[in-house]
Amino acid sequence: MMFQEGPADTLNYMIAGYTVILGTIGLYIVNIILRFRSLRQDEALLDEIDAERA
Amino acid sequence: MERIPKALIVLTWLTSAVFVVALYLVLFWAPQEAIMGDVQRVFYFHVAAGWVGGLAFLVTAIVGGIYLARGEQRWDRIAVASVEIGVVFTFINIVTGSIWARPIWNTWWTWDPRLVTATIMLLIYIAYIMLRQGIEDPDRRARFGAVYGIVGFISVPLTFLSIRIFRTIHPIVVGGSDPTALGAFNMTADMRVAFFFSLFTFTLIYVTLLWHRLRLQHLAEKIEERKLTALSA
Repeated sequence: MMFQEGPADTLNYMIAGYTVILGTIGLYIVNIILRFRSLRQDEALLDEIDAERA
Repeated sequence: MERIPKALIVLTWLTSAVFVVALYLVLFWAPQEAIMGDVQRVFYFHVAAGWVGGLAFLVTAIVGGIYLARGEQRWDRIAVASVEIGVVFTFINIVTGSIWARPIWNTWWTWDPRLVTATIMLLIYIAYIMLRQGIEDPDRRARFGAVYGIVGFISVPLTFLSIRIFRTIHPIVVGGSDPTALGAFNMTADMRVAFFFSLFTFTLIYVTLLWHRLRLQHLAEKIEERKLTALSA
């Protein structure tokens, strides 16, 4: 890179970097949503059990 | 079923809008760096992700101290939620650093003090999450988490200072670099705008995620309690 003219062509690395950033944050958000959904299903089941017992 | 607080809905939409603006600033507003080219744009979110990691672990240490003083479970809830977010963002920080290093240092990885301390820090907090899961008693688990969170925090200033106290090739963009550093550059005014806006955006993302994650933790504990009651009835 020492004797180059103009900026290096590193666009692919930039795309890879932002794919990792957006992908990881996106996956974490999906993970939180799925955990919420699973807990809400459990909650609904517990409500049903409580209703049957009452 | 608990409804999502209005303030959290507003904060989530606001954070999303601010994130889009930050993306515009780093990808289009900030000028292309003269030598490194487009890969330098990774720097803005790379540093911001590292900042969120450090902030999250600092919050964990602080609430750990408060838990030890007061013994209230809600502080432990914040600690575990914060560690989880910190691990996600520290992971982003390390991987994006590696992607930047490939064209600039000509390697994906080198045993540089900053890279090593950051990775050790990440492993310490992954271990925090794993070890907690092995403790059944909630009080013991919270006490362990609090002490671990405080002791583990030593790795955060060590990571931050590693490029300032050791000889390293990792550049210090804010505050001047070691002459042997590879990939250092001077920020222009527009780059500075993108940089500080990215830090602000990622702080906002941290607060928003923490709030959602706390609600998740609260719901999980409530359901666990109900399950135990249902089984004992």
